[in-house]
Amino acid sequence: MIYLEEAVSVLLANKVRSLLTIVGLIIGVAAVIAIQVLGGGMAGAIDGLLGGMSDNSFIIFPNQQQSNAQAAAFKLSDMQTLKDRVPLLLDAVPVAFLSELVRHGHDEGRFTLSPESAIPYDNLPAQYGRHIDADDVAEAANVAVLKHDAYIRLFPNGGDPTGESIYAGPNRFLIVGVLEAPKQGIINASFAGEVAIPWTTYVQRFLHGNTLFAARFVVANPATIPQAEADTIAAIRSLRGKPDLVYQSFDKSQFTKGIDGVFDALTFIVALIGAVSLLVAGIGIMNIMLVSVAERTREIGVRKAIGARRSQVLWQFFIEALVLCGAGCAIGWALGMGIGAIVNDVGIVRLSGTVPPLPWLGTLAIAAGFAVVVTLAFGTYPAYRAAGLDPIEALRYE
Amino acid sequence: MNDPTLAIRLRDIRKTYESGAMKVPVLHGITLDVVRGEYVAVMGPSGSGKSTLMNLIGCLDRPTSGVYVLDGVDVSKLDDNALAAIRLQKLGFVFQGFNLLARTDALKNVALPLFYAGVPARERAVRAAAALEDVGLGDRGHHQPSQLSGGQQQRVAIARALINDPAVLLADEPTGNLDSKTSDDIMALFDKLHAGGRTIIMVTHDEAIARNARRIVRLLDGLVVADVAVGATA
Repeated sequence: MIYLEEAVSVLLANKVRSLLTIVGLIIGVAAVIAIQVLGGGMAGAIDGLLGGMSDNSFIIFPNQQQSNAQAAAFKLSDMQTLKDRVPLLLDAVPVAFLSELVRHGHDEGRFTLSPESAIPYDNLPAQYGRHIDADDVAEAANVAVLKHDAYIRLFPNGGDPTGESIYAGPNRFLIVGVLEAPKQGIINASFAGEVAIPWTTYVQRFLHGNTLFAARFVVANPATIPQAEADTIAAIRSLRGKPDLVYQSFDKSQFTKGIDGVFDALTFIVALIGAVSLLVAGIGIMNIMLVSVAERTREIGVRKAIGARRSQVLWQFFIEALVLCGAGCAIGWALGMGIGAIVNDVGIVRLSGTVPPLPWLGTLAIAAGFAVVVTLAFGTYPAYRAAGLDPIEALRYE
Repeated sequence: MNDPTLAIRLRDIRKTYESGAMKVPVLHGITLDVVRGEYVAVMGPSGSGKSTLMNLIGCLDRPTSGVYVLDGVDVSKLDDNALAAIRLQKLGFVFQGFNLLARTDALKNVALPLFYAGVPARERAVRAAAALEDVGLGDRGHHQPSQLSGGQQQRVAIARALINDPAVLLADEPTGNLDSKTSDDIMALFDKLHAGGRTIIMVTHDEAIARNARRIVRLLDGLVVADVAVGATA
């Protein structure tokens, strides 16, 4: 392909000019490709961040600012009533926290104790032993499951601690399980403390009075959460006879949707920047191609005198623009993949603990698409100008 | 009308340029025959219309009226693409300024018309090498134009003009940029081509160079005013 060979030699003869021409293209393509790579990584990161949060639970908080805050608050007795009245609910348990000094022998630390049900809110796999089970809840057993942070503090020598006892204040608990370390290091999105005990045990030992901070509800299918939330809030309002009580609900999908929304906005902005820089880059390429056509007017005249047809001259300059755009998009692609991979590596991999796969094929298709589109949009006119030159005028051009 | 011995047959060729409302007649009715194998010099002062005639003969332009038969084909009414094909197959151009492609070695310059004719790369290389050999530059195939002297560049240009075995070789002031010694070399090469049966039409304003041809056609104000064999008294 002699057009290709000539195009490369012409562009290499003007190395600096060629490179400067495609800088805009490189930046635009790199931005778009990088955001593609990050998009793939983000999805994994969000999942990793919330890996310990069960996706079939939701929490309802009474609004503390409302004048009826007293009436809105959940009572312990509401749990069974709501479970009976809302068919979608598998379980309803109190949400509460208690900071307590926890001891094992000479090792101690201040940790948050929290009530847990047989369907764990914190669904990390057990490293040792097991989760709280239905029997524990039914018997209000004095057992505890440790999260990783509590385990390494209370058992600095490691080993299987199940069967050993810890003390939270004066209360003794038998350790039945230890959860694996969560993958995330920064955000603990789960409302679970470091030491989980059966919620019935929590109620007996630590709950003062009948009023709850909030309540957690469990459904069989995460898709039914919005309906279950609405039903539950309606049920508690009718239970109190006050239809204007205000509640907030929270579940994992809201959290991921929130992050997804932020990321979508970021993607949109970067795509916009990419589009603008591609437009500017395209105009730059058109400009330099027009300069190239003007500089080589005489050469075009010679080619035509020799017998080059209009279409052959058109192809020559079109291929030159394509090579220029192709080079810009290729460099931009490599740069974007590099930036995306590095950001994934230093940021997202640490958050999620997983290495997201690089989107090779998709990004290559995007880069190739940009090359073709920019060439067609901005390379056609200069090539058309070259092809349309009058050979007599062109040969006379100094 | 189609005399097979004629390379070029011009009948009452007129050319008028229109610039705005102004009509500028340049050629007022040129009638001229060039027999195959002839070596003709076209002379005339500037403004005589010799460049316009050259462009018409070279199929770079169309006459306003009149008939032009080149190598048996009436080319007076052809469109741009058809004219490009005629230039490619039937004409070879040699310019005053050589007009080789920069940054392109001699072999590739010579092979360029073959590329436009769709000849495969391997055959292009073989034929270009042979054509360079014919003009005495067999050992300079990989030199760029900037590494060649003016005379050598003109030889490369001649090899390029002849690569498609054209019916007519058109030379526009072929020695205009060369010193007298080199000019003589180029004229010797033209003599050799003429002896080999090549039809040559050369435009020049230099009387001494024109005398290398076998026939001189003189133009003045868009008309042929003299057409004499060299050696006869004009």
